[in-house]
Amino acid sequence: MKFIGIVGTNAKKSYNRQLLTFMQQHFAAKAEIEILELANVPMFDESDDQSESPVIQEFVQKIDAADGVIIATPEHNHSIPSALKSIIEWLSFKLHPLDGKPVMIVGASYSVQGSSRAQLHLRQVLDAPGVNASVMPGSEFLLGRAQTAFDAQGQLKSAGTIDFLDSCFAKFMKFTNLVTALAAPTAVKYQPGTYDVTATGHNGALPMSVTLSDDRIESIKIDTSSETKGIADVAFKRIPQEIIDGQTLAVDAISGASVTSNGVINGVAQAVKQAGANPDELKKRRQTVTAPQASVTDITTDVVVVGAGGAGLTAAAKVLQAGRNVLVLEKFPAVGGNTVRAGGPMNAADPDWQHQFDAIPGEKHTLKEITEIDEATIDQDYLPDFRALKGQIQAYLTENEDQRGYLFDSILLHRIQTYLGGKRTDLNGNKIYGQYDLVKVLTDHALESVKWLEKIGVDFDKSQVTMPVGAIWRRGHKPMGDLGFAYIQALQPFVTKHGGRLMTETTVKELTTTDGKVDGLIAEGPKHEKVVVHAKAVILASGGFAANTKMLQKYNTYWTSIDDDIQTTNSPAMTGDGIRLGTSVGADLVGMGFSQMMPVSDPDTGELFSGLQVPPQNYVMVNQAGKRFVNEYGSRDELTQAAIDNGSLFYLIADDAIKATAYNTSQAKIDQQVAAGTLFRADTLTDLAQQLNMDPAVLTKTVNDYNSYVDAGEDPEFHKNAFDLKVAVAPFYATPRKPATHHTMGGLKIDTGAHVLNTDGAAIDGLYAAGEVAGGIHAGNRLGGNSLADIFTFGRIAAGSALQDELTVTEF
Amino acid sequence: MKLVGIVGTNATRSTNRQLLQYMQQHFAKQATIEIAEISGLPAFDEPEDRTAPAAVQALSDQIAAADGVIFATPEYDHSIPAVLKSAIEWLSYTTRPLISKPVMIVGASNGSLGTSRAQAHLRQILEAPELKALVMPNVEYLLGHSLQAFDAAGNLKDATKAAELADDFTAFMAFVDLTAKITSANKFVEKNQQFSWSQVADGRDL
Repeated sequence: MKFIGIVGTNAKKSYNRQLLTFMQQHFAAKAEIEILELANVPMFDESDDQSESPVIQEFVQKIDAADGVIIATPEHNHSIPSALKSIIEWLSFKLHPLDGKPVMIVGASYSVQGSSRAQLHLRQVLDAPGVNASVMPGSEFLLGRAQTAFDAQGQLKSAGTIDFLDSCFAKFMKFTNLVTALAAPTAVKYQPGTYDVTATGHNGALPMSVTLSDDRIESIKIDTSSETKGIADVAFKRIPQEIIDGQTLAVDAISGASVTSNGVINGVAQAVKQAGANPDELKKRRQTVTAPQASVTDITTDVVVVGAGGAGLTAAAKVLQAGRNVLVLEKFPAVGGNTVRAGGPMNAADPDWQHQFDAIPGEKHTLKEITEIDEATIDQDYLPDFRALKGQIQAYLTENEDQRGYLFDSILLHRIQTYLGGKRTDLNGNKIYGQYDLVKVLTDHALESVKWLEKIGVDFDKSQVTMPVGAIWRRGHKPMGDLGFAYIQALQPFVTKHGGRLMTETTVKELTTTDGKVDGLIAEGPKHEKVVVHAKAVILASGGFAANTKMLQKYNTYWTSIDDDIQTTNSPAMTGDGIRLGTSVGADLVGMGFSQMMPVSDPDTGELFSGLQVPPQNYVMVNQAGKRFVNEYGSRDELTQAAIDNGSLFYLIADDAIKATAYNTSQAKIDQQVAAGTLFRADTLTDLAQQLNMDPAVLTKTVNDYNSYVDAGEDPEFHKNAFDLKVAVAPFYATPRKPATHHTMGGLKIDTGAHVLNTDGAAIDGLYAAGEVAGGIHAGNRLGGNSLADIFTFGRIAAGSALQDELTVTEF
Repeated sequence: MKLVGIVGTNATRSTNRQLLQYMQQHFAKQATIEIAEISGLPAFDEPEDRTAPAAVQALSDQIAAADGVIFATPEYDHSIPAVLKSAIEWLSYTTRPLISKPVMIVGASNGSLGTSRAQAHLRQILEAPELKALVMPNVEYLLGHSLQAFDAAGNLKDATKAAELADDFTAFMAFVDLTAKITSANKFVEKNQQFSWSQVADGRDL
């Protein structure tokens, strides 16, 4: 029989350690006891999951392999030590190795109590549902006055004490056999048939149809029409597959799609129950804890790409087009990264195409304003282009002086707008603007990227030219179909069809180098197996770090503060992995202090489309005191900083008439959000103010002032650009908003060939980067629609450079 | 009245923190509640020199300067979180600021039981002779289903639970006043400012 003994303290000197060591020797003939120490166990923190760290994994694997566990606990403050509590919390959080495991409690203390109170607490703790250990009842072994209990050889002095320990341990060995027998699986019988059930998915109801035979779950069919394409697809494939393969409901939810995963599991549980069986029996059929597999997967390829979003898949497709091998590694179960969350249109100046569309009011004015910019404010490297653009604009304005005219655009306008849009100064007075050569490459080759995507299989809607949110100009090429997913829907099949290898749930741990050249990497696969990749080039396309708040806070030099609980509009995968990998081999970083926020996001989820989203002329923004604090027409940066200065949380005030202009919601959704406390509604402003903990007099004055500005057509306080409706008709609404992280501007320093540069400005042999992982292009602020232009352009360039440098392919 | 509210977790999102923030705002007229975080404290490891690290000393000073302490505890595995236990161990092992300090316990959890077991443990822990806190009897504020308990402005949605908390807080203020009278009249003064579990061997069985 094999047991694990846990020393319940991290103290250097411990009589409990001595007690376990004594038991180890004394019972050596009956059982093997391996002693585990707590000294290296980190303090449990649910916000910083370390279940996969080597120290926690050692506990998990060893406990899993053992027949039982013996815990020796001291008593601190009438309870168990925090160090022991901490490991139990880790072992009841994501992983549950103690579930059903026989446990014996012993304890030693200085006082006569011998840890009596701590042992009672420990029993209750081990009984908690997340732990669910099988603790042996009775046989309480309390060693009081431990400092006098052992002799110099570490033997217990008292024969009576040893006799009692012998009897406790003999009972524990019997108990272990008993519990093991108890844990043997029970047969499950179903009333055969097909059961229709409705589970809850991310976007609401998820109708499912589950077919059961006498003793098996045969099939699971799900109507997925209500779920967002691309994000949860993998949950609909994999969860049913795992349930059927294992005939179990103990399957793990999929990262990034946990609501949907649990929805599917609960749906099957409902069907099982309707068929007269107990779903808990199926939940007990635990999959064995995934131990790292000894086997190492060793792969040799031409190019390995880290990250399967738009940039990574583009690079992979390009390598395949040149007839070379490629491997794409993605840490999440689903491909698509942030690209599937993108709004859809990508920027590329295509004057011939844009010429067919009429200009709209205001556009000429915008162009004229550009020609009036003082040249002294334009940085030297952009000056020749700026002057050339002025010439183009003047010619256009002269040509169309007496007519409405067509939609003007040029590569130079795209370039100068990207430059002007990205110009920022941080809190330390550091100025930043897009690096000229990179912006030139982006704007010169964006249209080529559109044409390339068309060849891959992306259909663009040529009948309209759109302006993505925050883009400044109408040059958006909008794909047909489902927004950002449309790109992935074309790229992924292209890669797999042309022999590209795609491994999901495979996290890159480190890059490998030989004599300074990056020649592969080491990753960890879904079953914790080691994956070693040898390649001639590594392309990092792993995205930014908007989902890594600690990293944002560490580098931030632009915002006066970033809240600990800030949300993000990004995929949770965006944690800066590629930046860490790049710097580990000496890469330089650029612009890391700058990030882009989405000011009007849901405070709890980061989503944009909750509450009442109305046109900006109907926005009335008030802070937590009930006062307006900003021109509602301000840029994203202005709104965000104003929100931060006012405590981040603010409200959009609306009345019943303004509500009618909301483009994102329905009455049912509004009622549901009011009930859930995520949207506020009241029949009077006084009541609304009370719900929001505001002084009613302040909010009422704010609204009255605002209404008078609407009447006067002028806002003397914040100079709001345009007005529409007053706030007058009950009921009144308040939608809570907070800035959320949207795009991280900084990243690895690259050159125009997407080579990653080291701190001396030299290219790191074998390493390339594309997309949000790289910095320098968008500088302090990215125009809407430019990130898609970036990933498809630099994704192609990174692959092209890798082919040329490392694989001597010159034509592609 | 000046109180310290200790957030009993290191989680970045915590309804116990929200509960203390709610109390801070709603009882602002009756008392000043400073909210103290424990996430920055090192893990307790029974160091031989028995000196409080700077972060522990700062928390201890904050407690010493306050008239009373409110603990808001989550429940992890039927007990208090390890990180809260660690903070208490530091205080009991080094500076002992909780001796005779009035304490109110509140707790929020997403389950329906609202930390009932954790609160019972915390009571026993704070009454250990190493700590000697004066935990207010009779009152047990349990906030279940806490993820749904607050609206976006941080208010308790359920008026009954809000009223219950207001009553409990009034009782606690009376308890603080009462204990101030008793402790000043109490001739016993705890001399031992540095406790160690090994010292029970020196003759006193705590």
